Amino acid sequence: MAGSPTALIRKTKAKLGGGPPRYSAAGLVRRGLSGDPWPRVWRDVDLKSSYDVVIIGGGVHGLATAYYLATNHGITNVAVLDKAYLGSGGSGRNTAIVRSNYLTPEGVAFYDRSLSLYNTMSTDLNLNVMFSERGHMTLAHTDGALRTMNWRAEVNKLQGINSSVITPAEVKKLAPSLDVGTDSRYPILGALYHPPGGTIRHDAVVWGYARGADHRGVEMHQKTEVLDILCEGGEGPDGKGAGGRVTGVRTSRGDISAPIVVNCTAGWASLISDMAGVKLPIHTRPLQAAVTEPVKVFLPTVVVSGSLHVYVSQTDRGELVFGASVDPFNNYNVGGSLEFTEELAGHVLELMPGISKMRLLRQWAGLCDMTPDYSPVMGTTPVDGFYVDVGWGTYGFKAGPVSGEAMAEAIATRQTPKIIAPFGLSRFASGALVGEKGAAAVGH
Amino acid sequence: MELRLPGRTSTTGVRRLDTERPGEVIDRSTSVPFTFNGKRFTGHEGDTIASALMGNGIRIVSRSMKYHRPRGYLTGDFWDPNGALQVGDEPNVRSGHRKLTAGMSVSSQNVWPSLDHDVKAANGLVSRFLTAGFYYKTFMKPASLWPYYEKVLATFAPGGTVDLDTPHGEFDKRYAHPDVLIAGGGPAGMAAAIAAADAGASVLLVEQEHQLGGHLRFGSDADRAAAGTLRDEVGRRPGIEVLTDSTVTGRYEDNWCSIVQRSHPTVSERLIKARAKTLVVAPGLIERPYVFAGNDKPGVMTSGAVRRMINLYGVQPGDRAVVFTANADGDAAADDLEAIGVPVHRVDARAGEGIVEATGPASGLTGVVLTDGTTVDADLLVTAIGWTAPTSLLNMAGDRPVYDANAARFFGSVQIDNVLTTGGIAGDGTVEELIQHGEATGRLAAARAASIAHALRSATVWATETTTDAPAFPADDRTALERHAHPELYRASTHGIVDYSEDVGSKDLVAAAKEGYDSIELLKRYTTATMGPAQGKLETVNTAAVLAEARGETIADVGTTVWRPPFVPITLGALGGRIFEPTRVSSIQPWHEARGATPILAGQWIRPEHYGDPAAEVRNTRTNVGIIDVTPLGKLDLRGPDVPALLEQMYTNKWRKLPVGGVRYGLMCAEDGVVLDDGVTGRLADDHYLMTTTSSGAGTIWEWAEMWLQTEHPEWQVHVTPVTTGYTSINVAGPRSRELVARLCDDVDLSNEAFGYMQVRRGTIAGVPDCIMWRIGFTGELSFELHVPSGHGLHVWERLMADGADLGIQPFGLEAQRIMRLEKGHFIVGQDTDGLSKAPTTGLENLIKLDKPDFAGKPELAWALEPEQAQILPRIVAIQPDDPTIVPEEACQILAGETNEILGRITSSRMSPTLGRSICLGQVVPSLALPGTKITILLVDGRRVAGTVQEHHAHYDPEGERARV
Repeated sequence: MAGSPTALIRKTKAKLGGGPPRYSAAGLVRRGLSGDPWPRVWRDVDLKSSYDVVIIGGGVHGLATAYYLATNHGITNVAVLDKAYLGSGGSGRNTAIVRSNYLTPEGVAFYDRSLSLYNTMSTDLNLNVMFSERGHMTLAHTDGALRTMNWRAEVNKLQGINSSVITPAEVKKLAPSLDVGTDSRYPILGALYHPPGGTIRHDAVVWGYARGADHRGVEMHQKTEVLDILCEGGEGPDGKGAGGRVTGVRTSRGDISAPIVVNCTAGWASLISDMAGVKLPIHTRPLQAAVTEPVKVFLPTVVVSGSLHVYVSQTDRGELVFGASVDPFNNYNVGGSLEFTEELAGHVLELMPGISKMRLLRQWAGLCDMTPDYSPVMGTTPVDGFYVDVGWGTYGFKAGPVSGEAMAEAIATRQTPKIIAPFGLSRFASGALVGEKGAAAVGH
Repeated sequence: MELRLPGRTSTTGVRRLDTERPGEVIDRSTSVPFTFNGKRFTGHEGDTIASALMGNGIRIVSRSMKYHRPRGYLTGDFWDPNGALQVGDEPNVRSGHRKLTAGMSVSSQNVWPSLDHDVKAANGLVSRFLTAGFYYKTFMKPASLWPYYEKVLATFAPGGTVDLDTPHGEFDKRYAHPDVLIAGGGPAGMAAAIAAADAGASVLLVEQEHQLGGHLRFGSDADRAAAGTLRDEVGRRPGIEVLTDSTVTGRYEDNWCSIVQRSHPTVSERLIKARAKTLVVAPGLIERPYVFAGNDKPGVMTSGAVRRMINLYGVQPGDRAVVFTANADGDAAADDLEAIGVPVHRVDARAGEGIVEATGPASGLTGVVLTDGTTVDADLLVTAIGWTAPTSLLNMAGDRPVYDANAARFFGSVQIDNVLTTGGIAGDGTVEELIQHGEATGRLAAARAASIAHALRSATVWATETTTDAPAFPADDRTALERHAHPELYRASTHGIVDYSEDVGSKDLVAAAKEGYDSIELLKRYTTATMGPAQGKLETVNTAAVLAEARGETIADVGTTVWRPPFVPITLGALGGRIFEPTRVSSIQPWHEARGATPILAGQWIRPEHYGDPAAEVRNTRTNVGIIDVTPLGKLDLRGPDVPALLEQMYTNKWRKLPVGGVRYGLMCAEDGVVLDDGVTGRLADDHYLMTTTSSGAGTIWEWAEMWLQTEHPEWQVHVTPVTTGYTSINVAGPRSRELVARLCDDVDLSNEAFGYMQVRRGTIAGVPDCIMWRIGFTGELSFELHVPSGHGLHVWERLMADGADLGIQPFGLEAQRIMRLEKGHFIVGQDTDGLSKAPTTGLENLIKLDKPDFAGKPELAWALEPEQAQILPRIVAIQPDDPTIVPEEACQILAGETNEILGRITSSRMSPTLGRSICLGQVVPSLALPGTKITILLVDGRRVAGTVQEHHAHYDPEGERARV
């Protein structure tokens, strides 16, 4: 096709020196004394009628893609659109757990890169994302679960990931609040322990990428809903669908032309892709979460129990953060259900009988786009210039940095980076699935 | 450093009044001992912890989260942000609400080392550097130090302490089906309850406080009289159930409501789940604190707090008061203070007067600066500047409340058929007017409930009353309550605390908004304002007001955050309730235990893993006869003319020609073609079948069968009855099994000719009629699987053991069965298959019948059977390590030679007692699946060993002759 979308993109040198003031302890003291305000974390600018790249979805994935387009590839005429506010979707609703002890070599390599980007993120973005490398334990209550833990440990070992199966006594040592007694209903038989896993302040990741992208010229537009994707030449109605190319987006604030449009949404990924005539094999299901009132810190690691459908960690603020497995049916309701809190509480108390007097403070849900193999869909589509970074199920937050890095490379170079090659949309036509579903149950 | 604070815990201005107040709820004749921070005190019956503390002259009860500033009671009720205290092993107790009981050990939470001397108060000296979100801007370098910073930050976590040895405690749950559920027992809520009950509705009236009456309880003589009358009327009506000290915490789909009952006599908290036909939301209003400099000093209180303390508990909250009032409640607080002899300086917002700041030390205010520049000496500053409408339940029902600037608060904006509002949340009025509106609401709620109830009854398929005329769904004909004008008062000219529990001030909010966190949700996330224990009930509207001011917008433009359930926090114990998770055992379990069987947990079941020596159990079964208790095997009794259609739909193979007396093996796949379950189904009679599933799949497959019948093919006539526990299942296996069974059964011809392999018969075993027996087994030996009515299971088992003694009978457990099935190469769903294993992976392509019109997973399996998929889908193969003594661990990876490329994994692995060598099943890529292929296995210890792919899945007796004799 004449005039590939990338050829239309102007590359500018990333603006590095002379940017806004850096965050530091000294800066806090100086501004504390002078009373000078900090500048805006990202600018408030007018929406233009055309961009080189339009990214739909102002969450970790969309913002990271924008950030790496600007920093790694000098592509800065980029708009990130969000129908609400930045981080209002899955990025602000997840339980902020990061890890890389996945089941497939493809998954392990991918998430390990993400984890290493998280590791240096605070200094890279000059914003403290409070990465807490507190270790991640996945409990096994059955011999079947233990077998899966061993499987994961073996795969992880081959990839050089710090991940091993530990005994109940070692579990107790790491998390004294857990009941490892043999007379509990589902005794803990062991756990997959992954020391590099942990938690992170999810909102700070969003803000950090937004700020970093903004410094380099990327525009963030909140309350800007995409109503349609404009295409030409495709086999479907209105030029959409295979064989066509994308020309822009129609938003609640007017049309924007762009040779490249990236779908970085979660919860609405299939609906947005449908606007370009691209069908995705995605089921959307809520995943429910809740926090308790704060108490003094007593749980030092992340604890996951697939059999009991629960994962839990304690924030530095003292709240226990709970998540469950995805609901068993398709739904767009993010309000949370009563049944979830009941089951959750019952299961948590089986793990930690001593916390029955703690109180559940707030519950919510996030939307998870589930694919048949529990792996994402990333890269090109049959519509030229329309990229997807979707299908993130319950693991999207963990993958934000590496996804942004790889998507930016894919867009800038028109080459699919090796690290995301296994996750292409075409695999559902070829059958070469990436079997993260093998270990199914709770993915956290 | 240590900051000594003057005044400390005792202030003379705070004390119990000598004379009784007319409406007080304490019993002065009683003495209730308790301790606070280790010191002994006494209160009275009827006291809350808060009133008892203030009655003892204690004004400072806690410290703030970040700056550890001394705090006293602000609202003196459930929502008090400063009143979260530790009581015994219970953290975060709402001391403004919790009743005092004898022996309570109460202590402050955010103090270190003590309430009086708190080292962390030093943070207050550097507060200008610690603006909200400061931690995002520092502690980044060096990265190696962050873990230590993090540990320090974590010590500032607010809240109490969990005693990890706390026993689970008694909790309970209840279901309720009221016609009308009323959230809030103030005048409007009580009037609604009375009117609804009089209209014939069953009513559940839920009040958060300990007593019905709402704000009337601490009001004038006339108010209290009105409350008393309403209470009496409520009490006279059997159709009204009253729950006090209880809160409606959530409203979910279809008016599914959660209620937490804290007043249950025997359990500490009870969760009530109510399917209400109509919900009346009448929670009243929550008085909003005012934002100004010094607004968190002990001695600053809301008018409601002061009136509660004086009128309900006979507590004098101070010696000299300034009352800043914009409404009648503030005026009444000033009147109440004067009535107990406290001099009051009134500052009337309606007359343009205002306050600037509260002055004095951190331990308590000593003066108030007014907008006219004067300073008034005071140890008590009362504010009455307006209310927040607690619209949570409306939000949960889909409402999006809208701000009304004239009334200075939010109101619901959406009409919801089964959710009505009354009382302060709906508007303003005299007590008379509130009662009238409540009555109209109660009548409407009852009428709507009747209409909804009729619709529900008529919707059920067996309804016989459909001829009855449906009561019309009544329109809302109520006269709306007025909305009285109220000044918009949010912040004085100075900055103060907005979120007390999070220590977030208006200055923080303004700074964050200027930095770009300028939508209400971003502001909340960045500053943590509204995220504390009150979840915004006190703070949200002030936060919105400060943001609106910073943005130059109106509060209506800014909006509020989304209120999420629960309305008040619920203990995990109450939510979890009693643990009803069943432990399942077969009727033979006592025998197993008596024989010292090692138990294994298999899903909900506990069953014998072995009786000491699984290898010996295998050898005996292969040479003599063994019996195993296989009761957990899922069993579904299927009856009806359309059973074959159901079977054809659920299994991948064909079932229409299965004759009576026949048994067939089948594979079930999900819609994505992935193996879901497997098992055998036998035809017992023309339209009577017995299906077996895997033990772990029993529940899933039952639900799945019902899914097909109820949602996809309601026209099929099939009854599914789970009979897993109705039968005790015993597999009799081994060359001498026929001889043994023959000794116990004389009404079935057991000969191979009459009762061949894969057939089913019904007969009498050991005198027990109606047993089902079929000739199948997982072990590969001649086997009879006996399904015995459960009550007789142990009897049959014992007879088998006794009558088989001379045949060498021994019981065998799950482990021996697993070894024997592995010797036979039978895969286990979920062990040898995984979440991506489509049917061809199992090697059972011949059981996938694409010429059937339909079955679950057919399109995917049609694709999976295309030739190119054979190059992609992994295969289950039998593998033998070349060194017969090496038993690879299950989960060992199969690699490409010396590389780390993964080509498969070992899924099952055992030492075979029969063959005297190690045997495995594994999943490998197609290129390794050919018999004779050499593979490399990585053992857990890092060694790489060679193995060979076998021709058959079965390592032993591949032709299956032993089972067919």
